[in-house]
Amino acid sequence: MAKGRELKGRIKSFENTRKITRTMEMVATSKMKRAQDRVVAARPYAAALREVIASLYDPELASQFPLLRQPATVRRAAVIALTSNRGLAGAFNANLIREARTLVERLESEGTTVDLYAIGRKGVGYFRYVGRQVAAARTDLTDRPSAQDAADIVAPAVEGFAAGTLDAVYVVYARFVSALTTPPTTDRILPVQPPEREASSGGKSSVLSSRRHDYILAPSAESILESLLPAYVRNAVYRALVETAAAEQGARRTAMKNATDNANDVINGLRRQFNRARQAQITQEIAEIVGGAAALGG
Amino acid sequence: MKTSIISPERVLFEGEVSSIVAPGFDGEVGILARHAPMVTLLGTGVLRLEAAQGGARRFNVSGGFLQVADDVVRVVTESATPAT
Repeated sequence: MAKGRELKGRIKSFENTRKITRTMEMVATSKMKRAQDRVVAARPYAAALREVIASLYDPELASQFPLLRQPATVRRAAVIALTSNRGLAGAFNANLIREARTLVERLESEGTTVDLYAIGRKGVGYFRYVGRQVAAARTDLTDRPSAQDAADIVAPAVEGFAAGTLDAVYVVYARFVSALTTPPTTDRILPVQPPEREASSGGKSSVLSSRRHDYILAPSAESILESLLPAYVRNAVYRALVETAAAEQGARRTAMKNATDNANDVINGLRRQFNRARQAQITQEIAEIVGGAAALGG
Repeated sequence: MKTSIISPERVLFEGEVSSIVAPGFDGEVGILARHAPMVTLLGTGVLRLEAAQGGARRFNVSGGFLQVADDVVRVVTESATPAT
């Protein structure tokens, strides 16, 4: 029964694989839940920042702020491409890399020089493989990116934009819509698109309602905006980092669930083959015995 | 008055307080109930608050702003950690 033993070995091997993928699925599920909590926990800060900037911002002030500069032509742009440090997450990193590459190619076809900031081992590895120069490469981010990480990543880009050497900054990340939907997304974070005032009762009264508090401003609307706009940009990057971290776990969970399901299918098929082979052998043995007995009795 | 202390990562504190002393950009700012609407930048230092039911809390904060409106105070800071 040589065939049976071989099948048994293969079944065992698939069962071991299934054990690993199932464990990874469970680990990813629990990590995803925690990452999702961080996405939610980051919302009040973003909302508060957006609200205050919107209520202080006046289009007439725009020319005073370097971060609101709207360059007529984009000569040089920075692209911050986020990827994960680990694989086994299905097409997650491939999708992110494709999105980043498409953006870079589009910018370059428009005659823009692109500084690429590769974040995450997968992205860094890819761009090294295709021989592309990167302005910065970071592979040290954990599953729990901090606001400080975001600030460190974006600082050179903000400086370059304020100094006028960069005309646009993009971030490519995975938006966490749900555990199953994590589309690669490109956001332009500089120049800053000032948040809109919330239209409370619609029309012209919205400006009045947001001004209704008549705040005491210290030191002044201009200085407050000047200090909050960079914080707004940093927060956009922080949000991209936490959403990508959550999306990574979501993608890994899906990939590992598929792997586990596939292993189940394969094991079922192999088991059927094994049983059929066993049955065939028994049938053959009986036929031999019956044949032998008949020969003796004949 | 309702107060919340919000960092980019999470909300560190939410509740009723009777007074707050925050490190403003040019010195300490004290807030009591029914303060006029205000937005002020924060510096770096220790923020102290007195909970309505008694008990003081301290936080190390750095950057961001403090907003008072309708007797609701929001401390929105770039980094905040509970201090002992």
